[in-house]
Parts: sequence; structure tokens; C-alpha cells
Amino acid sequence: MEAITITLNGVEVSGHPGMTILELARESGVDIPTLCYDPHLIPIGACRICLVEDERSGRLSASCVTPIEPGMVINTKSPKVMERRKMILKLILASHPDTCLVCDKGNRCELRKIASDMEVGLIELVKIPQLATIEEVNPFIERDLSKCILCAKCIRADHELVVQGAIEYINRGFTSKPATLNDEPLEKSECTFCGTCVAICPTGALMETKRPYSGTTAAIVSTICPFCGCGCNIDLEVKDNQIVRARPGKGSTVNRGTLCVKGSYGFDFTRSAERLTSPLVKVNGDFQVVSWEEALGLVASEFKRIKENYGSGSLALLSSSKCTNEENYLLQRFARSILGTNNIDNGSRLYSAANIIGLGSPVGFPGTTNHLDALEQSDVILVTEVNLTSAAPIVEYAVKRAVKYKGAKLLLIDPLQTGLSSFAHLWLRPKIGTDIAFINGMARVIVTEGLLDEEFVTRKTDNFEALSSELERYTPEYVEQVTGVPSDDMRHAAQLFAGATTASIVYGAGITQHVTGTNCVMALANLAMLTGNIGRRGGIYALQRDCNGQGACDMGTIPNLLPGYQSVEDTESIKKFADCWGTSLSADVGLTAVEMIEHAKDGKVMSMYIMGENPVLSFPNSTLVKEVLESLDFLVVQDMFLTETAKLANVVLPAASFAEKEGTFTNFEGRVQRVRKVVEPLGDSLPDSEIVLRLANSMGCPMPYSSLQQVMDEIRDLVPLYQGIGYGSTETKGERRDELDRDPFRNRRLYKGQFPSGFGRFSPVQYEPPVEIPGDEYNFTLLVGSILHHSGTGSKTSRSPRLSEFSPEAYVEIGPSDAEQIGIGQGDEVKVISPLGEVTTVVRFTTTLPDGVIVMPNSFSSTPVNQLFDIVLDPLSKTPALKACAVKLERI
Amino acid sequence: MDKTVETAKPDLKQVDEILSRYQDQKWPLIPLLQEVQDEIGYIPPEAIEPIARGTGLFPVQVQGVITFYEQFHTTPRGKNIVRVCRGTACHVRGGRTILKIVKQNLDVEEGETTPDMNFTLETVPCLGTCFLAPAMMVNKNYYGKLAPPKVRNILQQYDNAGD
Repeated sequence: MEAITITLNGVEVSGHPGMTILELARESGVDIPTLCYDPHLIPIGACRICLVEDERSGRLSASCVTPIEPGMVINTKSPKVMERRKMILKLILASHPDTCLVCDKGNRCELRKIASDMEVGLIELVKIPQLATIEEVNPFIERDLSKCILCAKCIRADHELVVQGAIEYINRGFTSKPATLNDEPLEKSECTFCGTCVAICPTGALMETKRPYSGTTAAIVSTICPFCGCGCNIDLEVKDNQIVRARPGKGSTVNRGTLCVKGSYGFDFTRSAERLTSPLVKVNGDFQVVSWEEALGLVASEFKRIKENYGSGSLALLSSSKCTNEENYLLQRFARSILGTNNIDNGSRLYSAANIIGLGSPVGFPGTTNHLDALEQSDVILVTEVNLTSAAPIVEYAVKRAVKYKGAKLLLIDPLQTGLSSFAHLWLRPKIGTDIAFINGMARVIVTEGLLDEEFVTRKTDNFEALSSELERYTPEYVEQVTGVPSDDMRHAAQLFAGATTASIVYGAGITQHVTGTNCVMALANLAMLTGNIGRRGGIYALQRDCNGQGACDMGTIPNLLPGYQSVEDTESIKKFADCWGTSLSADVGLTAVEMIEHAKDGKVMSMYIMGENPVLSFPNSTLVKEVLESLDFLVVQDMFLTETAKLANVVLPAASFAEKEGTFTNFEGRVQRVRKVVEPLGDSLPDSEIVLRLANSMGCPMPYSSLQQVMDEIRDLVPLYQGIGYGSTETKGERRDELDRDPFRNRRLYKGQFPSGFGRFSPVQYEPPVEIPGDEYNFTLLVGSILHHSGTGSKTSRSPRLSEFSPEAYVEIGPSDAEQIGIGQGDEVKVISPLGEVTTVVRFTTTLPDGVIVMPNSFSSTPVNQLFDIVLDPLSKTPALKACAVKLERI
Repeated sequence: MDKTVETAKPDLKQVDEILSRYQDQKWPLIPLLQEVQDEIGYIPPEAIEPIARGTGLFPVQVQGVITFYEQFHTTPRGKNIVRVCRGTACHVRGGRTILKIVKQNLDVEEGETTPDMNFTLETVPCLGTCFLAPAMMVNKNYYGKLAPPKVRNILQQYDNAGD
């Protein structure tokens, strides 16, 4: 394409065809004011503020929607332009209240900024009073439409970025305004309170309702959201060592101007009154405040005593999928080199460990194989067993954008209705726990109908013969009988998937939290390899529940793997780390998270160190977990809050929040992103990395780091996946992209079209009937999942004033006909009973559930739903089954 | 309170039937809405969601189009539409009184429908028949040079028409 040259304010500049005048001007450093323009949105030329003059014709045009043409002579500040621009501004101001002095948008208001730049103050035009405020009672968004300038940014962000369809203009002329369906308040609409519209609104029309702190922003710090594994970039605005608000990170290719309700409003847990501010030691059953020296001295002496008396194997450490890479790296080094044990695991064991073997064995890399952009460009997207609305909101936005605006076809395989159901080209609902049969059925159709990518299968993979013979029994008739999905639909799905040029697979905890999770991931990997959708286009997107689930695993807080998935049983790897750390290392595979509890029950594990995890709520059989942790010889918990687990500890160490420390998170794509300190740690709390380093000192084995940068440097040297990643030399607070982000995928070798081992290996897997089948007594299948407003066990979100106000308590969803049969009504209190335990909650009717299926959220400490589950582990990944169990309901 | 009586729930099967005829059309929304209104007499708010689903739009977008155009109505309308002219010529010849008389006779305000669903009263800026001022229309018929007794007579004609 040939460049187009135009004259801009007397200077010749060139741009590519299709570029608008505004884009070229901004690129050339010429400022043109705008109100309705945003780089993430399709320009509509509504506000007319950006108009410029073509001096050849004297014609005025809106620069945001006018493409450049050869020979244009553009003046952005001609007298004619300035006169018209002023008049347009005055007309906008004529229907805008003069309440700037009391408006909290303050100096962030783009309208006020432009007025001030153009020296327009109070205007001479007759004011047109605007519509009154709509009363909203949600704790997130407040609309004052008297300040609305009808730029439609909120509506366009809702439709083009988030694809939610909550708002659109209603009425015509003077009475037109952005409104929900039937002009209801936001909380009664489709709105998810993602906050994208608030961040994009140029005026004070859309604002945060309940701000944790008010004041003019003094600094903006870019960091990473601490909730799910998407790794959204957020800009935190700070004043007086307090976070005022969060906005989508500017220029982020991960979240592109969007966030979800947790990202926008959930950060307020960092100033919860329940934060721990000093170390605590339990004396005679009560916690006493002590100094760091005293607390760490006690931990050090106890660990030494236990290690000497009972051996290294009697110590076990649980690291956190919510802590940074550096913190995870330090804790596993502490465990392996100082305590001398491989008994270290992290919280992602509970939901995504199936990827380690499930993807690691066939594909060679245990994680997502492509980036989010490629997902959005796919022709067919298979989303299976995951409610993206709550599990990975920005992935949901990407899928919806692909379907709505890029012609992608969505193949939804999920027994439950989700936010994506209405976007699905084909929505198939196999019976719960029958996914392997269904996916194998699709694979068999692809093989028998010759729809596979033969060249790819021949040249890039092996073990195809074994797969193809193992698939024999998955005839469409058999699969229909097992899954309940008509065979024609299944065949159609297979044809659709195989027929696509680019097909992607997205899955989450609905797959990996079943007993057969690892096998199911392998079945999905087979499907991707059969159709050539791995390593070059399309891909497998394995979601992570926590902000650093991927990174924690990358950093080797895994009992059998050193950092970078290097096996502890491999002498060369062990030697590499032992040499670097100057110590000998154990080559014995350690215990996984739930195994630690089982061994503690048998008295083999005497002491545990738990960093940022809450097993009492997150593990199955809470009653047993609590008993076992209470009976430990010595328990240390390092957390921000006195969680249900911390209450059982002998020593509690107060940790700093994500906003109070430096480091990196690795998102589910494998993107390593910088976490930055925004405010000072609360009270005497310390970053987890600092606590581990100080503890190592107390043990008399200091670790040789004077900064986190040195930790990352060591990671870079020892972990091939992290080669080339460093903090960068010119790091300053608030700076957007540093060396870290420049090529975040450099070492994820699948992005370059190569399997790490040279070949992908088909791994045939067999369907086994689910064990959670309801019987005569326990006649319902309970599914447990996350909800949008909470994450994990809710230890952070339940302490976010805004999130917990909006979503205060658990419930059980049930179909009205099922409810009628057992005589319960909407709002009734019921007991949900499994063979193992019971919880009490309230009934909520939902018309979308299959018969015999009920659903509960898992993030409420008052309704610890995990105590209904017995400990049953996936034999391969050791992930406890926490998705489905058979229960009965009793009315109270 | 709204003076319109609770009417039976609109039959959305008609909407589904109309939708099926617009399945493969590219920009079907406005003709589709017109057809729904012709068929049912108005566009029931309950029909917005099925229409949105059938046309691949968000319900708020369908609502946006319905509320943008004067021609679309989301509440049931009377069998007869009375449009009283509020143009300048009619105004100087007593249009305001004519409107008052119509309101008294029908016992409704502008934009409302009589409880028996026989009349809906609307006003228009100008009927374009200034030579007949003061004027009004009932359905497609013009009535000009109005006076209070004449108005009563005209309305009576339509009142009996249904029985």
C-alpha cells in the first residue's frame, strides 16, 4: 500500500490509506480535541468538536471520521475552525449544568478541559435544563444524565467492547438519552457493572457511586488486577496513600479498555478494616500481637525443631496462585533449599492442575497455546463447560466480539445456560460428566469422515493410529446414548469444528475439576491436533481462576517440578538448581495440596506453612480439613486477613496486598506482566516476598537477594520459559510498557508453530461414567461454580464493601418444576445435604437448568459448600473433584 | 392510573409467525415492526425480546428504534384514532376548545385510550387542511369547520359503529 501525503498545519505528513485525519494528526503530535472519539471504538463523528478545515475547499469535516486523501491541506486551528468549534462547544455547554465546582469528575472531565483550553467559560446562550437524575441503588455506578453530552461512548463501549447490550438510546430529539430496557435502573437491567462505561465517559454523567476515597488524583500507577487469571491491566489512581479508583489500563492489549466488576470496584478490599496489621502468635488459644522478630523467631525455631525431630518430609508448604512469580519462586526455594522438602504445592492444584499433564503430555507445554487476539480472530470457537461471565469476563467479551462482529461461529458445549448461550451457533447440552464421550465422539466423526488435517497429523504428531483405534467405540449412536445429545447435532458440531480454517477451544474449571479432568483435557488436545489447530493458528485456551495460577506453576511451587516444569527426578535439572543455590536438593517427589491434608491426618506431616491460601474453605471435606489443620504440631499462615484457615494457625503473618508490592503475574495466556506498588503496606504488614526472605534470615540461611529484580534475574537464568524477561533498566512508577511487556510470548514456543518436543502426541482417553450420579436418596446433582462478583473462597471479595453489598450471600438455584416436586418455593430456606455434610441457604428459581440439576456459588464463607464434597482426587492431576456431587434438599 | 383496561396478554405466536417470514432478510427490523403493529394493533413490550433474538439485535436496540419513530406504539390503541389539529390556523379558529370538547366527551387526556378501547386521542401540529379550520381527523376521515355540537355528533357515530 502506498503512503498518502497530506499537508497538516503547513507541514507535510504521510499516513497509510484508510487512516483518518485525526489518527494521522495524533501520530504526528498535532492535538485535536475530541469528546466522542476513543481508539477502542468505531468513530461516529457525533460531537463535531474535532472538526478541521481543508484549505483547498474551505470545507469543514469531522477529523475522526474523515479518511486522509492525497493532497489534502488540513488546518486544525484555522479561524473558521476555531469559531465553529467554540460554537459547538457552547451548544453542548448550553445543556450541561454549571456545577463543575461540585462535580467529582473535576479535572478529569474532558468537556471542562476543552472548554478551558478554548477559553470558553460561562456562556451567553439560553440554558436548556436536562433530564433529571435516575435513582440508582447499586454500589457501583451512578448516572446523572443531566451531564450527558450524548457522545454515545457508553453505548458503543457496551455494544462494541463488552457486547452486553445493557443500554441504547431511547426516544428522539431533546428527550433522547442512553437507557436500559424499559428505562429501568441499572441493577434491574442486563448491566454487569463492568465499569467500562464509567471509565470512558468524558463527563460526570457516569460515576462511581461509593468511592473508597475522594480527592483529586495525585498519581496513576499501572498494575495488574488481582482477581481472575485474565491479567487485565489496571490503572490505579492514588491520593494520600489511598486508592481512589481503578480504570482499565491504557494501551493494554489484554483488556483493551474494558474491565469487569471485580477489576473496577473490587480493589477496595485492600483497605478493609479486617486487614491484619501485625504478626499474631497464639498463646493458650488466643492470638497475641507480637513483633516480626518474635514471630519469625518462633517460626524458625519450630521449623528447625520439627525438621530435626521428624525429618524434612514432615514439613509441607502451600504456596499461592494469587502471589507473584517472585514470591512463589522464593517460597519454593525456601522449601527446597532450606527446609529440604519438595512438599510444596500451590492453590491452582484445586482447579487447573489437570493442564500440567493434560496439556503437558500431548502438547509439551502445560498452558494456553495462543494469545487472546488469535482467539478473537478464530472462525469457530468451542467453549466447553465454563461460565466465562464469571470465570474470565474479558475472554467472554472477546468471544462475543468474535461472534457479533467478526463472523465467528460459537460452538457451546455446556449443560448449563451461560451468558454465551444466546450467542451460540450451536449449543449442545451433554449430561454432566460425559464430556469425554462427547469430545471423543466429535474426534471419531472427524477421523471417519476424513475431516482431519492430514498434513499436520502426519508431519507434526505421532500416535495417531492408537488414537484412531481407541476412538472406534465412540460411534454417534453410543455417544448419543451416553450424553443425551442427538447424534446429528454432535456430527454437525464435529463438521463445523473441523471445517473451520481457524478453530479455538476454551475450557475452564467445569472440565478440570472433575475426577476425569486430566483425561478430558487430553481429549480436547486430541481434537485440536486432529484439526491442526495448535502451534500455528487457533489454539487451546486453558483458563486460570487466580491472577497468578499460571505463574505459580511456572515457578515450580509444584511437588514434582522445579521452576519451568523441570522434573525433580531429573538429575541434570536438580543439579542446575542445586549449583545455583549452593545446596543439595531432594529428588523425592513431594505431596500435592490435598495429599498434605491426608498425610497430616496420618501424622506424617507435622507442620504446614500456608501462604495466601484458605484450605478450610477451598478444599473438599472442610470438616476434616479443619480438624487436621487444628491438630498439626505447628501451623503458620501468611495472609492479608484472619481467614478461616488463619484462625487455626499458631502464627499468623500479615501480608501486604497486591497494591502494596512489586513483582510480576503471569496471566493465563503466559503473558508476564508487572505488578507495581501503589500504596504503602497497611500497618506492619509486609509483601510476601519480604516475609519469606526475613524468615530465611531467621532460619540462619539468608537468601542472597537485595532486590526483587535479582530474583527475576535468577528466574530468567534458570527457567527457559522466562528467558529474556527482566524488569528493565529504566523503570519508573507509572511508566506504561517496560522491557517485561515488550515480547511477553518470546519463550512460549508453541507460538512459533513448533511443539517443544518436535511432535504433538495423541493421547487416547476413555470415557468413564461419572461417580457423582444422583440416586434415590441424594436425588439432585449439585454443580458448584464461581459467580461474577466473587472470586476464590471470597476472602478478598467478601471484604470488598461494594462487591459484598451487591452480592452478600449464597443461594441455591433450582428449576421451578423440580422445586414444586419437593414443595419448596422461591426465597425458602433449605438444607442442602450430601452424605458428608450439609449447608443452609435460600432458594432462587432459575428456568434454565436441566431437570435434577441445582447450582450453588462457592465463594461464601457463611455457606461453605465444599463441606458437601468428599475427598476424591483425579488420579493423574491430584485435583480434588469439586464440581459436582449428589445431594438432597430439605425445607427448613 | 392508566385508564386503559387490562387487555388480554398479546398473542406472541403472531410475532413468531411474522419473524419466521423475515429470517433471511438483511435489515428487517422496521418493516417487521410495522407488520407486528398492523397485526396486533401495537408492539407489545413482551415482543421486544423475541424480535431482538430473531433479528440478532440487543433488546435495547429494538426499543431504541421503536421509541425513535412516532409511528410505533407500545401500548394498545383504540379502534378509532382521533387526531385533533393544534396548528396555528385551527388555534385562532378555536382549536383549543375543540380539543377540550373531545377530551370531555371521551373522558381521556391526549395520548390516552378510552377504557372500552374504542378511542385513542392524539393531537397533531397541523393536519394541512387550514381551509377547514378548526379541524380533526377520525381514522382516515377529515372533519372541518368544527363546533362543539358537531364534534359530539361525529364522535357518536364512531361510538355506535362497533355495536
